[in-house]
Parts: sequence; C-alpha cells; structure tokens
Amino acid sequence: MTLGLEERWTLIDRISKATVTFGKYEHTLKDAIGELTVKPLTGIPVAIAILYGFWSVFGSFAGTLCTDGFFVKLFDGYWLPWIQEAFPGQGDLLYRILVDAGGIDSGEFVLSDNCFEAFGALTSGLFVAIGVVLPAIVIFYLMLALLEDVGYMPRLAVLIDTMLHKIGLHGYAIVPTILSLGCNVPGVAATRILETKKQRFIMMTLLAIFIPCGAQIGIMEKVVPDLLGWILLYLLIGYFIFGYILNKIVPGRAPEFLIDVPPYRRPLLGNIAKKVGGRIRGFFTVALPFVMLGCAIVSVLYLLGVIQFLGDLLAPIFVNWFGVPAETAGPLVAAFLRKDLAVAQLSVIEMTEYQMITAVVLVSIYFPCVATFAMMLKEGWKELLGALAALVVVVFAYGGLIHLIGILLGVA
Amino acid sequence: MKVLLMGHPNVGKSVFFNRLTGANVTESNYPGTTVDYTKGWMKIEGEDVELVDVPGTFSLDPKDKAEDVAVAMLHETKDAKVITVIDASKIERGLYLALEIIEEGYPVVIALNMWDVAWDKNIRIDARNLEKILGVPVVPTTAISGEGIKELVSRLKSAKPVEVDDIIANAGGLT
Amino acid sequence: MAATGQSQSTASSGAAIYFAILGIVTTAFGLADILVTAAGSEFGYGILEIPNDIFRGGWGGLIVLSAGLFYLSGTRNIGDIHQFAKVAMGSILIWIMAGCDIFAMITESIPGGEDGPWLNTLPGFLEVYASPYAPAVLLLPFSLVVIYYIYQRK
Repeated sequence: MTLGLEERWTLIDRISKATVTFGKYEHTLKDAIGELTVKPLTGIPVAIAILYGFWSVFGSFAGTLCTDGFFVKLFDGYWLPWIQEAFPGQGDLLYRILVDAGGIDSGEFVLSDNCFEAFGALTSGLFVAIGVVLPAIVIFYLMLALLEDVGYMPRLAVLIDTMLHKIGLHGYAIVPTILSLGCNVPGVAATRILETKKQRFIMMTLLAIFIPCGAQIGIMEKVVPDLLGWILLYLLIGYFIFGYILNKIVPGRAPEFLIDVPPYRRPLLGNIAKKVGGRIRGFFTVALPFVMLGCAIVSVLYLLGVIQFLGDLLAPIFVNWFGVPAETAGPLVAAFLRKDLAVAQLSVIEMTEYQMITAVVLVSIYFPCVATFAMMLKEGWKELLGALAALVVVVFAYGGLIHLIGILLGVA
Repeated sequence: MKVLLMGHPNVGKSVFFNRLTGANVTESNYPGTTVDYTKGWMKIEGEDVELVDVPGTFSLDPKDKAEDVAVAMLHETKDAKVITVIDASKIERGLYLALEIIEEGYPVVIALNMWDVAWDKNIRIDARNLEKILGVPVVPTTAISGEGIKELVSRLKSAKPVEVDDIIANAGGLT
Repeated sequence: MAATGQSQSTASSGAAIYFAILGIVTTAFGLADILVTAAGSEFGYGILEIPNDIFRGGWGGLIVLSAGLFYLSGTRNIGDIHQFAKVAMGSILIWIMAGCDIFAMITESIPGGEDGPWLNTLPGFLEVYASPYAPAVLLLPFSLVVIYYIYQRK
C-alpha cells in the first residue's frame, strides 16, 4: 500500500512527535560565522578574501616556487642543453619534432636557448606539462579540496545565486564552474546536478567556451602574468553576456532550487590527499601524453606547411575581424589538442599587448579540448552540436567585439 | 545480496560506501558529488554483498538527471535491501524518502547519520522508539568518524519488508 | 549568578575596547593600502611598508579594510554571539591576508634565484624575512587575541 502526500506527512509528523525532542537551539560560534559567510553584506567581503587567498597561494606555489624557482632552471639550464647534444641528427626531421624546431639564421640551423621556443615534444612538451601545468594543478586541487571539505562551496553557491539567476542558472552552477577552473571534464560531469535540460545545456556550453582550465591559467600566469587579469575579466564578462543570451533563446525552463547548506567541518587529511592524488594520476595518464603528442603534431604540421597554408587561408579573418597577426593560426590549430601549449606558442609570437589579450581569449573560447569534447559527446550528441553551434557564433561575435572595443579604446 | 545506499544529497552516502568497501569514491562537503552510481563489494559474515552508492535524491519523484539515475537504480533491483541514510538533524525530510521506499516493499535499514551535528543542535532522537514504530532497524551513525557503522552492517540481515498499515497503527493512527 | 554575570560583562567590555582600537588601526591600514595603491606612490615607515601593486595593495587593501569594519561593527554588544562572530571574522580575514604574505615569503626564500645555486644561501634565505612588513603581517599578532576570547566563551 502507498500513501498520499498529505497522509505521508501526517504520519511523519506523528512519528517525529513521538521520537524527537528539540532542545533549545543555541547558536554556536560556528553557526554564527556560517551565517556571516552567506549574508550578502558580510559574505561578499569574505568571498573576496577567500578568492584572494586562493589566487595568492596559487601564484606563490606554482609560479614563484615551482616554475620560476626550480623548473625553469632545470629545463633551460640542464635538460635542454643536454638533450640538444645527446639527441642524434641535429636539424633532422625527427630532431625538429622531438627536440628542437630551432630557427634558420643566415642559412644555418640555430638551436633555441629556452624550452618555450624549442617546440619539441621532449622539450617544450615536457616543460609545459611538468614544469608549468603540474604545479598549477596540484595546488589548485589541493585548495579546492580544502574549500569543498570545509563546506564553503555551498555557501558560495547561495551567495552567488542571485547573480546566476540572471543567466538562467541557480547558485549550484558555481560548483561545475569552479570544478571547470581545474579541468573542464569533471565540470561537464557535474552539470548533472542541474535540473532541466536547458540548464544543463547552457552550463555545458558556457563551461566549454568561457571557463579556462587550470592548465591554461597556469601557463597564462607564467607567460603573460601582466595581462592575466584582463583576460579573465573578458572571459567572465563573456560568461555572463552569453549566459544571458542563451537563457533567452534556449527553450525550456530554469526552475528555482533550494540549496542545502551543510555544517562547516574539519577537513579530513586522508580524503583531501585522495582527491588530489586522483587528479594528479589523471594528469599523468591523460594530459601528459596529450601535451607531448600535441607538440609533435604541431611540429609536423609546421614542417609540412599545413599551418602556413591555414594561416594564409585564414589570415584575412584573423587580421581583419579579430585584429591579431596571421601567425596565430598555428597555435589555434594546436589549441584543439592542448590549450596550454597553444598559449605557450602564442607567447613567442610578436604582437601588441592588446593583440595578445585578444589572442589568448580566442584560444580560451575557441574549441574545447579533445577530452572535454569526448565528455560532452557522452552527455548527448544533440547537446554537443548545439554547443558547437553556439561556440562558432560566440567566437566570431565575441572575438569581433573585443577587437571593436580595442579600436574604440584606440589600442588595437 | 545487493544493498543500495540511498538518501538526500550530502548526507554522507559516499562516506559510508568508502568505509564499507574500502573504495575510492570522491566525497565532498557539498550536495551532488555523486552524479552516477558506483558499485563495490563488501563481506558480511563471509557472504559477498554488492553495495551500490546511489546519487542523492529527495524523493522517488525525480527532479534532475542524477535523481533519475537514483530512482531507476532502485526500480531495477527489486530484490535489493536499502540502507536509507538520513540527516539526523533534518529527520522529517529523511523519513519522507524512507517511507516511500518502505511503501514500495523494500527491506530497509535506517542510518541516522550526522548524529553529532544533531547532538550539537540539541536535537534528541529516541532511536529505539523510532525503530519500534517503523518496524525497521534504526542505527545512529556518524559516518565521517565511523561510529555506528559496524552496528549498521550487522543489522542488515534483520531488515524485512514492512506494511505501512502497521507503521500507521504503531504511530497511533492518522487522525 | 550575579557575580559571574558581572565578571563576564567586564571581560566583554575589555574585549570591546581592545577590538575597537584594533578595528580603528586595521581600518586605517586598509585605507592606507588602497590610497597608496591608487596614487601609485610608495610608503614605508620603520618596519611598515604599504604594498602598492594592484593585487596586494588594491585587492588586498580592500580585504584589510573589510577586516577593520568587521572588528568595528562587532564591538557593540560584543557578548552576543552574532556580534562576536563578526570580530572573529575580522581576525580570519587578517589571517588570510597575513598567511598569504608569509606564504609568499616562504616560496620566495627557498629557491636560489636565476643564476644562483638550486637552494638559497642561508643569509639570502633569512634576508627575505627581514622587515619591513605589510600591514596585515603587523596586525597578525594582535588579531590572534581573538583565540583567547573564543576559549573564554566555552
């Protein structure tokens, strides 16, 4: 036998009257602090401070300590000169692909003097993956795990709820968004907590387009630290503008959602270690091969002249519509395999600051990486096609808009 | 034997799952960490038992894709026993889901989880009386520190289907 | 009963005065951070150095300012748990700021620099920790007093 809704609640009421006594509920300091983090007036300064802490520790650990402190020295000072000597056949095809694409100076093959410009799978590929991206991912997931386990994330969701409602998502969308800052793949998986198809579609599209992953942020922090703020600002603005537009044009509804706020808890060390460990394993098995393969493929495409061809073909669009140099075509092709690699390649192309901002934003919003692509396909091919259609429109519209802003400001 | 772990989002199902199977399911202090089900094995008195970590659901009337997965999982495995995990500090909402599962004829064990939080909030629950009224095993637990987990497992075998009429009678009628 | 009430109220009036003063100083530091950053100038006095980059001075200054305001708004009727929570939050913000500054120093002190050895030399290592310090670091010891009051409440 089953009960009706009313009957069930009546029964529950009966049972709880017989078994539960509610003592006088005294607010503990933990509760009071919990409330402060949720109310807008006090919660926003706290969120700003936590964001600051996240960012500051991220930069100190990944940038100052790991990459600049040790890895640059290791790779440029020891690894690069050693492998340039040790690898046979300087200037050969295989040498150019794996070690150093080098440059031709007055008819002679010249070696590169740092791992950013070498472009070989074993030099740039390894350096970008291990020297830059790995530390960024380790510290990102460590801090994220800490915030998750303490219980801050749902409070942030409540705080941001109003803002996200404007773009047809509820506060919970902040969870996939923040996960995507680490890697878009778990972010796309997390969209399942959203209720309607419409919300999931909007979220997935926005994630794939506007949220740069930890690998990208790590490399941006390394190669264009001064412009990072602007780049992220452009992406954030795009996230809201296109979220708003998508909410207006995608059919379906975006219902309200009540969020349960869990109590603050002391995080368990073992659990955090497990989460971070899982991410790092994932990095070595998925990301590392991709970076090196990407490096090799891009080198091959360069050597075959494919990039040159695409660059020439697309140059009018790049130069006239987006206002960036034609050489950026190469990195944009590479971006499909690894966006972090693409950013590294952009950094050695000569262009103005504003062009650099535009180019890096373009790399970010242009096609999702292969892994994200596969994940979205798993969620449904219709959604994927829809997201890709949105993507093409967004890349042209937003890329053009950024160029236009640059023209109006007189910097492009 | 097959056992499903069900309950609202963020009541600690994954914590139970990890403790019971020694598996590596991600646990986080926010609702919706588990969006797909995970299976694992544990041994109870020498018998192999399959345990399924089901995504959190508020009721058997699904509202999102993760809840769809949960309800489909329940309906696919008619012979399963269900551990219903309830947040002891929000017991009424949890009982709603538990009753729904009981009404569908599944043998249920109730874990009154987050017992420590309820205690902090000065909420006292008479678990024995609750067990008497519902006719299913009720065990207070604090999954994160492991309290009550052993008892929960040992009570699994005494779980049996209960008629909702009996519960109504034990609670003293509906009027 | 009356006696404990009495001693509690003296304790909380002591706390109120302490955190009011700390609040004023913190607010002033926060404003100084923001103003110095906005003006693009440099300011140092004794062991104090106001950061003037947009990240630590601007964004960070905003947080120090918020911490000061948390302290000040919590001092009235500090015995109430919700008011006291604001004071505690003020300290937490200072801990975040100072923690980041100190962590930055640590990460800076360990590597040996571009042309140096792998690890820093001992003098080079210690040099990083020498004064002057940012306001949040100077406020840190004073903000720790809140821990005493948290235990006193229990």
